[in-house]
Amino acid sequence: MPPSISLVLSNSLPISLRAFSRPRGSLNSFPIDSPPFFEAIFLFSISSRKMERHNSPASASHSQVIEVNIDIDRDASKFPLISNPSPTSNNKACRGGTCDLSYSKDSPERWDSMRKLVIAVVLCIVFMTVEVIGGIKANSLAILTDAAHLLSDVAAFMISLFSLWAAGWEANPRQSYGFFRIEILGALVSIQMIWLLAGILVYEAIVRLIHDNGEVKGFLMFAVSAFGLVVNIIMALLLGHDHGHGHGHGHDHGHGHGHGHDHDHGHGHGHGHEHTHDHGHNHEHEHMHSHGHEHQHEDQDHEANTIPTKHQHDHSHSNDMKESLIKKGNKKPKRNINVHSAYLHVLGDSIQSVGVMVGGAVIWYKPEWKIIDLICTLIFSVIVLLTTIKMLRNILEVLMESTPREIDTTQLEKGLCAMNGVVAIHELHIWAITVGKVLLSCHVIIAPDADADRVLDEVLGYIRRDFNISHATIQIERH
Amino acid sequence: MQEKKDATFSYQFPDGDRRLAFSRQSSFRHWDPPLPSPSPSPSPSPSPLLRSHSFKPYLARSDSTVGMPLLEKPGQKDATWVALILAAVRGVANGSRPMKRLALMISLNVAYSMIELLLGLFTGRVGLVSDAFHLTFGCGILTFSLFAMGISRKKPDETYTYGYKRLEVLAAFTNALFLLFLSFSLAVEALHAFMQDESEHKHYLIVSAVTNLLVNLLGVWFFRSYARVNIVYWKPEDMNYHSVCLHVLADSIRSAGLILASWFLTLGVENAEVLCLGIVSVAVFMLVLPLFKATGSILLQIAPSNIHPSAFNKCSRQIASLEEVLEVSQERFWELVPGYSIGSLSVLVKKGVHEDRILQHVNGLYNDLGIQDLTVQIDYK
Repeated sequence: MPPSISLVLSNSLPISLRAFSRPRGSLNSFPIDSPPFFEAIFLFSISSRKMERHNSPASASHSQVIEVNIDIDRDASKFPLISNPSPTSNNKACRGGTCDLSYSKDSPERWDSMRKLVIAVVLCIVFMTVEVIGGIKANSLAILTDAAHLLSDVAAFMISLFSLWAAGWEANPRQSYGFFRIEILGALVSIQMIWLLAGILVYEAIVRLIHDNGEVKGFLMFAVSAFGLVVNIIMALLLGHDHGHGHGHGHDHGHGHGHGHDHDHGHGHGHGHEHTHDHGHNHEHEHMHSHGHEHQHEDQDHEANTIPTKHQHDHSHSNDMKESLIKKGNKKPKRNINVHSAYLHVLGDSIQSVGVMVGGAVIWYKPEWKIIDLICTLIFSVIVLLTTIKMLRNILEVLMESTPREIDTTQLEKGLCAMNGVVAIHELHIWAITVGKVLLSCHVIIAPDADADRVLDEVLGYIRRDFNISHATIQIERH
Repeated sequence: MQEKKDATFSYQFPDGDRRLAFSRQSSFRHWDPPLPSPSPSPSPSPSPLLRSHSFKPYLARSDSTVGMPLLEKPGQKDATWVALILAAVRGVANGSRPMKRLALMISLNVAYSMIELLLGLFTGRVGLVSDAFHLTFGCGILTFSLFAMGISRKKPDETYTYGYKRLEVLAAFTNALFLLFLSFSLAVEALHAFMQDESEHKHYLIVSAVTNLLVNLLGVWFFRSYARVNIVYWKPEDMNYHSVCLHVLADSIRSAGLILASWFLTLGVENAEVLCLGIVSVAVFMLVLPLFKATGSILLQIAPSNIHPSAFNKCSRQIASLEEVLEVSQERFWELVPGYSIGSLSVLVKKGVHEDRILQHVNGLYNDLGIQDLTVQIDYK
């Protein structure tokens, strides 16, 4: 018997009835504006009786409390509270609604990233105005060009901010997969801008080489680029700062709390974590206990999510199980792809500042070795381009709808073919909306006497459990 | 019965037989057996209704590729640079006509920009150097387009289960993005000229502008069938060619603008540079915007633009009106490339219903609309 989780819901939960005001399943209806969570709670309060009959052990019911037990392989990795009145369609959850195709309204990770970016933008603008004023006063072109580079930084941040904001839009029938792709396109635009800037910098170095009529002051170049470097380093620290911070746990903790009280999906950011490239397979039971403990610690330490924790003890259990099915990637630094592309931009700028500094120092020291400046700039530009290659590769793979790197297709196929009832599979397509959100579609051919529903259930469960692919569409055929 | 995915990179016909050189159906994809394609629906959608599973329609004009058999074993992969370059050259030589023309244009541009760069470096003229840089960037983007044209004919393989056609859309998007940057930079230049108010008569730039104009006009002539702003895209190559055409068109407009500006300056018109650059910038922006939107909407997986949303509603209502069907949900449609749309939906039916009939019906309905690849998940209540 699969382990069951028990979630205790208190009667004081506000339940919104707006969830049922929309018609089901018609393309005209835009998805609900209240999270499907309420619908789930409502459904549970209705169907808890049925649940108890089906899931045998440990279904005690308190007098004041509705207790619901669910099987763990029912979509527990995403949204353990959803269920249907029918007991067999366990894994085909996420009926209607947007599931996690958009950030939930108050996903902490999203606000965190937005906050960081807004701070970076403000800093940038401040520094830029300082430089512009200084440049106009000193009447130096070099300072003004550096201010222009900061402007390009601001543009990159704006793009990232817009992508983050847009990802929160609800999916609609025209844009049925949500708006997460905008992140990828925004990152592509950012990277093109980085390349463009590298080209411009090389061009400027050539211009400096040509205009050797002594108006290039090495000292000024050095000073300006040093200032730019300091600014860029500050912003790089700001943007890349959650390297080992354990925000991951904090957010999942918020996730757990969401189920109790603050009514946010949590799934938005549960999946939002997987926005990085380091998206490993989930190893189911390794982290069970450790996560539970860490959650406990984070519950107390993490100031950002001090929400009254009525159900602390149960959280540890439920989070145990949930965490074991979510990716194990919490150990690696998790960065939103938007923040990461902004970070790359800033990193590239700081590398180039170093290059210009070196060139300026050389010219200051020995004004006749002008060519060194050009060579330096070229070398550093190439370095900057190399840093963008990894992200560019990821972007390209997502945009080409290719199978994400972290999914092992051969293992998936083998596992699927090994199920009983399954004769063959074909037309398997696995692709990602953004780095971390994976979808799958497949045609499965089953034996003529097999039970289609059961096989569908098993297949979906297997895909969800082992590969954490949330949206899978399986077409069962009999031949 | 897993579909055989061929990971080889071959420009030849599936059977390598030159006797079939007249046949233009060289890139059918081998999907599952064609579903019954009913009579063409009366919907006014422009999608070709009679083709069920291929990427290209029958008798496509640009499909006249006669492939020479590869000289090496297809399984080999040597990563040496020489072999790569040789493969690239051979690919272009065997490629379609637009590919060859594009390659010619790119080589012309590269040669020209090299000459310009060297001249500018030796004579110390900054204008020439900046023009050379501009050209080089443009050439880089065009090379990416060329590369996309070549690669896109590969068959789908393990990692790229949908094939490589998306790369053409991506190349078109990159081109459009570059053109947007170009228009933005021209606007900045105009602003610069306005603020500086120094009209330097860079006469040597006229020569380079004229040469640039000629080369780009040659390119426009090559791709003249795509020299429009709003095009209906039937095939993925359409987008690529359109983007290349717009690229050379924008470049030629820019050169023409520069020539015009310097002519006006000699005539004594004040602020001629600002005016001309401003007009060119606005023109390029307007030129590029439809292409940018179209490619962007494909990359963002927006529902197929050639199918009206009410058609989707109609289909889903038709399915829901079947007696065995209780509910239709999670309909999601997207375009892989122009002309090939993919969808998935979920149908809730009563228990015990045989799924073949429903599958056929649903597939037939959506095939009419032009959705070639549909995955239907049948849930039983």
